Amino acid sequence: MQREEKQLEASLDALLSQVADLKNSLGSFIYKLENEYDRLTWPSVLDSFALLSGQLNTLNKVLKHEKTPLFRNQVIIPLVLSPDRDEDLMRQTEGRVPVFSHEVVPDHLRTKPDPEVEEQEKQLTTDAARIGADAAQKQIQSLNKMCSNLLEKISKEERESESGGLRPNKQTFNPADTNALVAAVAFGKGLSNWRPAGSSGPSQPGQPGAGTVLAGASGLQQVQMAGAPNQQQPMLSGVQMAQAGQPGKMPSGIKTNIKSASMHPYQRFDLKVLRGAV
Amino acid sequence: MEAPPVTMMPVTGGTINMMEYLLQGSVLDHSLESLIHRLRGLCDNMEPETFVDHELVFLLKGQQASPFVLRARRSLDRAGAPWHLRYLGQPEMGDKNRHALVRNCVDIATSENLTDFLMEMGFRMDHEFVARGHLFRKGIMKIVVYKIFRILVPGNTDNTEALSLSYLVELSVVAPAGQDMVSDDMRNFAEQLKPLVHLEKIDPKRLM
Repeated sequence: MQREEKQLEASLDALLSQVADLKNSLGSFIYKLENEYDRLTWPSVLDSFALLSGQLNTLNKVLKHEKTPLFRNQVIIPLVLSPDRDEDLMRQTEGRVPVFSHEVVPDHLRTKPDPEVEEQEKQLTTDAARIGADAAQKQIQSLNKMCSNLLEKISKEERESESGGLRPNKQTFNPADTNALVAAVAFGKGLSNWRPAGSSGPSQPGQPGAGTVLAGASGLQQVQMAGAPNQQQPMLSGVQMAQAGQPGKMPSGIKTNIKSASMHPYQRFDLKVLRGAV
Repeated sequence: MEAPPVTMMPVTGGTINMMEYLLQGSVLDHSLESLIHRLRGLCDNMEPETFVDHELVFLLKGQQASPFVLRARRSLDRAGAPWHLRYLGQPEMGDKNRHALVRNCVDIATSENLTDFLMEMGFRMDHEFVARGHLFRKGIMKIVVYKIFRILVPGNTDNTEALSLSYLVELSVVAPAGQDMVSDDMRNFAEQLKPLVHLEKIDPKRLM
């Protein structure tokens, strides 16, 4: 008995939290509809509906859970009815039910549906009983067949439109743009104005003085190097022009430097190099 | 100069080799809102985060054919945020089962004199751009939707023009080497963004 009670309590708690979530999302949806209706878009409405349907699903799952006792077997009976305000009740229902009285109880504790709804249900059950089991089965089968036909038609249409070309109004992305953007991020294609896409670019004017010296030194090396590859940095071309006079002044010094020094700046900090490069 | 593929390197201590798993796609400007809305629903619940970053790419040309690339990034809208330096290796190709682009990745935060330091080391700036967009997170996955702006006058980040009419969408995970199931999770997430965006692994070498 105790276990069942515990189960009941636990499942009631779970149910309560689910219903509270559902209430919150319904509330926010209503707020959205009332206040932002001029800015509302269909995807946003769809998202709200999806959220609600998801929550209803979890609610159903909680109810169907094996650990949930059959609520149908539980009965709620009001023990005390009073027309006075009940503060506890107010707090628990967030101010919605101030009084546990004769008018509130029939609405909140009812288990039967509305009379009209009950009438309709009775009607439906008599109709269903009247048809007979075989005919009902046949109708079910034909309904299933029609649904699957429809689904097939829709999926075929979707596949055809994707490959065929409902392009003009449904395009949300452009593959050419994707490639251009990826190329830009990966190696700078199209990101500089004054050189062809893909090759290395000039340095910015904010270069410190030391940097210019290093650039000048490597520029000297490049002037002397025969068969420089296409990837030669045109950014140093300006510096090369300025230093073009110097190679003529001390060609031999530079040549020896080339033999000992490599392109890597660190290895240039070799005394032989420092003497010649500066 | 590139680090050899991770599978060849023995684990001898030191830092763990982190790999970046990457899927990329793009979305046209007019569909951006629907994508943002969908991402807000799918991703972790947080305030929508926008960013404006300035990225500079530095190259060190060695004697080998391929230069060494380092990426320096700074925030233009968050004062006091550190500069960020990143090395990205060559993508590991060949494994058809891997659904994402995998490459070696080293990230560090640096102080503000990063560009001067790199210049002194011999790096030269290859290109720069401004990225402006939104950032989302889902678990360890990071989804970034941003627009690339070309810088017209070098060093001047105010004078920019958009590179194209689309936003680049990147789904990335930085994880230790060897965790390939991460790419399965990424592919499942990418499925949820179709047909708005097609996230796929794009080999940059193909676009050269």
